[in-house]
Amino acid sequence: MKRKHNFYDYLIILVLVLVAIIMLYPFWHEFMYSFSDPVEAATGGMFLLPRGFNLKSYWSVLRNQSVWSGFKVSLIVTIIGTIMGVLFSAMLAYPLSKKDMPGRNIFVSLIFFTMLFGGGMIPNYLLVKELKLIDTYGALILPGLLSAWNIFIMKNAFSGIPDSLEESARIDGANDLKIFFLIILPLSKAVLATIALFSAVGFWNDYFSTIMYIISKDHWSLQAVLREILSNAQSAMSSSGISVRAEEAISSETVKAATVMVATVPILLVYPFIQKYFIKGVMIGSVKG
Amino acid sequence: MYHKGTSKAIIAEAKQKHIGTRLWKYRYLYLLAFPGMLYFIIFRYVPMYGVVIAFQDFRINKGIWGSEWVGLAQFSKLFQGFSFPTVFKNTVVISLYKLIFGFPAPIILALLLNEVKNARFKKVTQTIVYLPHFISWVILAGLISMFLHPDSGLINEIVKVFNNGRGIDFLVSKQYFRGILVITDIYKGVGWGSIVYIAAISAIDSTVYEAAMVDGANRLKQMWYITLPALKSTIVVMLILNMGGILNAGFEQILLLYNPLVYDVADIIDTYVYRNGIMSSNYSLSTAAGLFKSVISMGLIIITNKIAHMMEEDGLW
Repeated sequence: MKRKHNFYDYLIILVLVLVAIIMLYPFWHEFMYSFSDPVEAATGGMFLLPRGFNLKSYWSVLRNQSVWSGFKVSLIVTIIGTIMGVLFSAMLAYPLSKKDMPGRNIFVSLIFFTMLFGGGMIPNYLLVKELKLIDTYGALILPGLLSAWNIFIMKNAFSGIPDSLEESARIDGANDLKIFFLIILPLSKAVLATIALFSAVGFWNDYFSTIMYIISKDHWSLQAVLREILSNAQSAMSSSGISVRAEEAISSETVKAATVMVATVPILLVYPFIQKYFIKGVMIGSVKG
Repeated sequence: MYHKGTSKAIIAEAKQKHIGTRLWKYRYLYLLAFPGMLYFIIFRYVPMYGVVIAFQDFRINKGIWGSEWVGLAQFSKLFQGFSFPTVFKNTVVISLYKLIFGFPAPIILALLLNEVKNARFKKVTQTIVYLPHFISWVILAGLISMFLHPDSGLINEIVKVFNNGRGIDFLVSKQYFRGILVITDIYKGVGWGSIVYIAAISAIDSTVYEAAMVDGANRLKQMWYITLPALKSTIVVMLILNMGGILNAGFEQILLLYNPLVYDVADIIDTYVYRNGIMSSNYSLSTAAGLFKSVISMGLIIITNKIAHMMEEDGLW
């Protein structure tokens, strides 16, 4: 199959390199902008390197109490939500992968129907209100905890595990709970990691739940805090008790850039390690069952 | 007769016992499924019941049981009102733009990546193009508004060269706003969207290509006659999913980018529901708008799935 590269190969590579540059440049730009001197940065243009390197913008982001509180809220919500979400999804998906379980089709249909139809924004809001979850971590975790999509991906993965493994454990006297926790889960790391990644990113990036269900600022998720800073850097600083001087007014653009980086870096750090899992996981999910 | 009767009863009893023992046999599996099923009942099915407030004049202090029933009054208010027809039109138009320009993008990207022979280059490119999927709309909206800033934004530095030194305030311009939605949507989603197609391509038997090469098919022909037909069922499934989402149009993206100056072209059903329901507490009216959307979406999924079956494709179910 190995051939020499011809003109078309180079053309395709050129196109893809351009695509990759377009994808990456905005982040590079912000990264360099965030390390620049606010006054020098204000001239605009391309940023291949920082202008007048300094860390002022990062100081002003890190001094901002609401960034820390948002970070804390999002971290708690992401950890608890991901663990609960993956665990309950797997616990539900495993029985659904057992074709001979009575009632299985009813369960599958009930879950599948939620992919076609939902109550919508207002009934969801009223439910959360009714459950007294407004302004709690529960409102940030529960409404998006399980999704039909993830459960069906897991169900497909579990169906692919050979029955013989379970049978031999059953002969040794293991019940379904033991089989699930000690055999099925350890064998399904790829799909569990994929779903964990999906839901962790979902929770970390969640802005909607905060604007829907959260009132007091100390329960705001990181994204809501970021939004406030990005849409108006000065008011965010002054509302968190930092006095705004003329110099800081002009620095607001670099502060925004630093804010973007502070929120993006955690994802960039985790991303390459999990990448190999999610491609595998998406492929498992794309096999229909 | 007597004999027959007893045997029937015995069989029935045995059957019952049989079902009982079968259920008992699976008790641990039901136990495992319980929290998840309970979750779906509470967080998915209870809100489905909640849509009845679209047929009420819902008052929060009277609750869902005490509020007055008004039939279809909310729906006629919605359609006779000034803004909803525009909102509905915007939703469909933005979605169609996204579908026309955004749907082929990941397919093209997957085809291009498939042509790359250098495995390392391919992997690095994939890693880069997946990345924006993991970045929130909050951050992307921040990036977009910085890049499009009329004075200092990078895009406007380029625009100024061609526009006598004047920048364009894209985000308040009715002319450009939808284009920005489409482009940024592709930016965020194209790489991620290509994964399913790459997976489908990797499942194609490589001997088919070898045979085609022996027959003298060039690479374009191989792409057209082998790769694309192999992607057909994936494309159909993705199309069905997209049709179901056609009234979504991108809630967070628009909520974070729009402003009153572009409501005429950018206000969609979800943003309308959010402003009227959550911000202004018009619960019944906005639920009616949401229900209208959910019902049409479900209809579209069912219809496209039917069409897929008629085309002898697997479809979604």
